[in-house]
Amino acid sequence: MFSRFGDTSRDFALLDEFRRRMDRVLEDIDPSWPANPAHARAHSSSAWPRVNLYDGGSNLVLKADVPGLSEKDVHVTLNESGVSISGERKVAPPEGYSAHRQERSSIGFSRSFTLPCKVNPEQTQASVKNGVLTVTLAKAPEAQPRQIAVQAH
Amino acid sequence: MANQTDLVTRSSGRIEAVQQREAIAPVVDVYENVDELLLLVDVPGATNDGIDVQLDKGQLTILAKRREDAPGSLLAAEYQACDYLRVFSVPAGIDPAKIDAQLSGGVLRLRLPKSESVKPRRIEVKQG
Repeated sequence: MFSRFGDTSRDFALLDEFRRRMDRVLEDIDPSWPANPAHARAHSSSAWPRVNLYDGGSNLVLKADVPGLSEKDVHVTLNESGVSISGERKVAPPEGYSAHRQERSSIGFSRSFTLPCKVNPEQTQASVKNGVLTVTLAKAPEAQPRQIAVQAH
Repeated sequence: MANQTDLVTRSSGRIEAVQQREAIAPVVDVYENVDELLLLVDVPGATNDGIDVQLDKGQLTILAKRREDAPGSLLAAEYQACDYLRVFSVPAGIDPAKIDAQLSGGVLRLRLPKSESVKPRRIEVKQG
């Protein structure tokens, strides 16, 4: 007996739906259920800190999540090929407390990034605010966007 | 059902609520001493006005909204604007009025003082 192809794919769709519902149930019970992809991304320690890179026209902006770190805990170095951020986060249990749960961990980190264009090292600024490191890198004059006038003939 | 007391019935097959932003569970440390419970929550990018902490029926809900102002077009992304959400069951004997929350450097510090009745007390032994 043959079944139409569409029937089979419907069966798989049902299985998919079943898996999604189970994931949702488990997520309700325990929000840290690792099936949640956003959760898995946020908690994998393969790359710390998480970094976003923006192109702001005349500059590049690097943002990194560094909760609990202050300006003096983070080092930003700029060289020919790119930018590096490094530092160490120390998490020590407060004095006189016993721990029920420790998910925040001490971590030493160092990450390097190749930038898409040349930058001007003199005009680079870095700051930490609300646990987010922001490095603003001014593009080199030759990498600045240039407006080309369109001429009529 | 004879013992149905719910004022509002909701069918379990209701349409899934649409969520605009992702909510991720932030990492949390929980400490305790004789006076209080102390929670440390990593919420990078969250600001004071985006934080909502509620204690209701023994459930502590921590919600922090991340405000992200993109300084340009995104070239590479490892994180995105999200809400941090975590719910804990809190043991009895926490005074909801005295809960104190402080945000500094992307770390939320929550202090849940115990009420006097659950604090350990030393009993003096009197001479008979």
